Amino acid sequence: MSKKVIIVGGGAAGMKCASTLRTQGVEVLLVERDRTLGGKLNGWHKLFPTLTPAGEVLDALKREVAASGAEVMTGTEVERIAANGVTVNGGRELKADAVVVCSGFDLFDARIKEEYGYGIYDNVYTTVDIERMLNEGRVALADGSAPRRIAFLHCVGSRDEKVGQRHCSRVCCITGVKQAMEMKELFPQAEVYNFYMDIRMFGPGYEEMYREAQQKYNVNFIRGRISEASPTFDGRLQIKAEDTLVGRPLKMSVDMLVLIVGMRPGCSNGRFACTEGVNLAPNGFVSPLNPFAGNVRSGAASIFYAGTVTAPKNIGESMNEGVAAAMSVVEYLNAR
Amino acid sequence: MRYFDSFVVPFAVGALILFAVVLWKYANWFIAMPRADKKRVARGIFSRRTAEAVGEVISESLLHRRIFRVNPLLGYMHASLAFGWFLLIAVGWIEAAAYGLTFSPLWVHVFFRWFGAHYGLEHAAVWGIDFAFVMDLLLLFVLSGVALAWAKRMRSKMMGMRKTTRHTPGDRIALSALWFIFPARLVAESLTAAIYDNGGFLTGSLGNGLLRLLGPEVTVSAEPVAWWLYSSVLCIFFVAMPFSRYMHIFTEIPLIFLRRYGITSSEKESSFDHFQVEACSRCGICIDPCQLQSQAGYDRVQSVYFLRDRRYGMLTESVAENCLMCGRCQNLCPVGIDLNTLRLNSRDTLRNTPNERRYEYLRGIDPSHGAGKVGYFAGCMTLLTPRTLQAMERIFSAAGEAVWWADREGGVCCGRPLKLAGETDSARRMMEHNTALFRKHGITTLVTSCPICLKVFKEDYDLPGIEILHHSEYLRRLLDEGRIGVEHGAESFTYHDPCELGRKGGIYEPPREVIRSVGELVEPAQTRENALCCGSSVANLAIDDRNQEKIAVAVAGHLEATGADAIVTACPLCKKAVSRGSTRPVYDLSEIVAGHLKESAPADTPQA
Repeated sequence: MSKKVIIVGGGAAGMKCASTLRTQGVEVLLVERDRTLGGKLNGWHKLFPTLTPAGEVLDALKREVAASGAEVMTGTEVERIAANGVTVNGGRELKADAVVVCSGFDLFDARIKEEYGYGIYDNVYTTVDIERMLNEGRVALADGSAPRRIAFLHCVGSRDEKVGQRHCSRVCCITGVKQAMEMKELFPQAEVYNFYMDIRMFGPGYEEMYREAQQKYNVNFIRGRISEASPTFDGRLQIKAEDTLVGRPLKMSVDMLVLIVGMRPGCSNGRFACTEGVNLAPNGFVSPLNPFAGNVRSGAASIFYAGTVTAPKNIGESMNEGVAAAMSVVEYLNAR
Repeated sequence: MRYFDSFVVPFAVGALILFAVVLWKYANWFIAMPRADKKRVARGIFSRRTAEAVGEVISESLLHRRIFRVNPLLGYMHASLAFGWFLLIAVGWIEAAAYGLTFSPLWVHVFFRWFGAHYGLEHAAVWGIDFAFVMDLLLLFVLSGVALAWAKRMRSKMMGMRKTTRHTPGDRIALSALWFIFPARLVAESLTAAIYDNGGFLTGSLGNGLLRLLGPEVTVSAEPVAWWLYSSVLCIFFVAMPFSRYMHIFTEIPLIFLRRYGITSSEKESSFDHFQVEACSRCGICIDPCQLQSQAGYDRVQSVYFLRDRRYGMLTESVAENCLMCGRCQNLCPVGIDLNTLRLNSRDTLRNTPNERRYEYLRGIDPSHGAGKVGYFAGCMTLLTPRTLQAMERIFSAAGEAVWWADREGGVCCGRPLKLAGETDSARRMMEHNTALFRKHGITTLVTSCPICLKVFKEDYDLPGIEILHHSEYLRRLLDEGRIGVEHGAESFTYHDPCELGRKGGIYEPPREVIRSVGELVEPAQTRENALCCGSSVANLAIDDRNQEKIAVAVAGHLEATGADAIVTACPLCKKAVSRGSTRPVYDLSEIVAGHLKESAPADTPQA
């Protein structure tokens, strides 16, 4: 009799995990909260550092899942997980021999940083808005005009004790660099500034992209956080910051302010942590059994993790964890 | 000497040391007080204030009504010890007087049971009082307090105290001596009663019991030992008193008088502070309300420890600075010590190092704009919560108010954060700058949406002819005068009292009335004077962010427990803090008013 595995969440990690488990002859049920598979990838335009269209990666994943014969259940939210299955909305219990939690992350809500005026003033956007506008093929100010000066602000909701987000979300630095370059492509005449605390270029090709942004695209990088934004009389935005390399406060009027929002723990983490063996780290992400050989395993033998449910990761890393989790599940099922 | 026995020596020496030290301290403190304060005393001494002070001494120093308010059993415990002992002394004196010994040495009154028996004094019956009975009754009253005090050591919860003070070794000695005074007295008087048959219902029967138990020989030889013991414990307690927590017994009395004469502590330390600091009994009532203790686990920084450290010259910055100055403890302090001001002037002593050049940039700064009789001062925190700013703008425009915007484009801080940090002279620079600005623009009303700014405007700014209003008061006025109209909605709101506005500013009603005009108001369990602090107070310079967040989460949970749809507060700092822990929306008062504005204000509609 073949074994059955339920995968919670059909993003990059969950999809990769599903197709990998199928190659090992395991029955798979992939449960996704949204109507379509793909998770956050659905909202992205082009992926750093190669500027590969997100759709390409997503389509490949979808094809793999479809070809693998994994059962997919969309529009279904998992309420609780257990060692032997999950409970979905409506109270229905689904049984399985193992569960892989790939429920991902939530985006930081930029409205919490009220001082940046997101949702209050025109022309304050998040990086997610920019991806959406790029996908829609129209990036413009609220009045339809082209921006002449754009400021990107790094670490909105990352490494910020004031909002209880102490962790680094890792991928936002390179996202900010990528979007700054995309803005320069779209508006070659515009000045683009990136305000940062540290630039953390951890992945292959990232550092090169950062240099390219400065040397080829002429993007300005200013070390210092923006403290507040306010509207000016002529409908622009005034930002206050400190250039910490020069040690001077500065004020600047810009047409567009882009908040590079970080990752926060998925809202379902708290619910899942009610299950024996599923524990949260102090930052709210799910804590794997150990960060080395046990990084896809939980405290319960039949519950596994993959992707950003345990920590911020990029897409490639999340997919790799999908594979790693699948292989750990197979190991576990065979040993039973 | 006619009435004397060697056992009175420890008592007499102890009492002498006690009075000498206490008087020496008071004299020194009083002499060092500023001239202005002495003048206040001179003016007040022959006024009604003296009579009021006497009344307060009776109700507070003797009975301590304020402790009864904290917990009735705790109040009884204290009253039985303090008032009971006082009555023992007073009635003891009357008894001695009844035997014609009005002006005999002090120890004759105190040890009258012994002197009366050993000198075979004749009772010159006064009002037919059975003194043995009355004195025994009073002793029983005091002993019941001692028993409760013992019980409190073991289970403080019984008296409504989750935590009690951790005492210094000196305090422990004094405390133990105090506990032994009355049992020792009971035994000594009982033994004398057994031999001379002069006891009341308590000492008499205990004496007979002891006599039967010990036999006559042992009883006779034990009697002087017991009196020596009693006198010695008294001596230990008296000597320890002026150096321990028990200094409060006497010090509260001059404190009450000085306070009634209008003397207060200020942002700079003064000699009057000694009266406040040493009037602290270290009862520890200030510990439980402290959220730093209950939520953040800081348990060495509460007012009781701050005052103790300050009194013994051991005050460190880490204690002085780790306080939200929320005023929750001050609200409950049975002695009514001005805890926040003392904390403030300690910080001034520790940290006030004015840097003249640092504030040179203030000269000539005036980024204000607009013109009007009403000035609006947002303050730094409102600039960081621009929804409030936006809401105020909509409200001003709906009311047709011409507004002078003091700091919308950036301005100079009100000075209160620096003042709370102890940098009082630097704070003064900012206050002077803003004062000049307010006067220059000819406003008659100053509105601020920040209670921190409001407090300093009212307390430290000299603004004659300018009415200072919190935006909650201003909004209520606009509503009362019909200058803005709001739709009453179905939403329910709970209200978080900001410390600076409520406890420290006395403004409780205006924000509530404004909320009721747009929706339903649901009060949280801890409200008004007892409201919780959001935890992000600018007054705490030592707390770390995680602990601020812990407090915020607890406060948000407390507010959400009301079941209200949204949380409303009237301070930008509280708003930011509470939203960190809340799952429901958190609004500033102005936001809900702006959100419920009628399309056109009634002022715009033609009058019938």
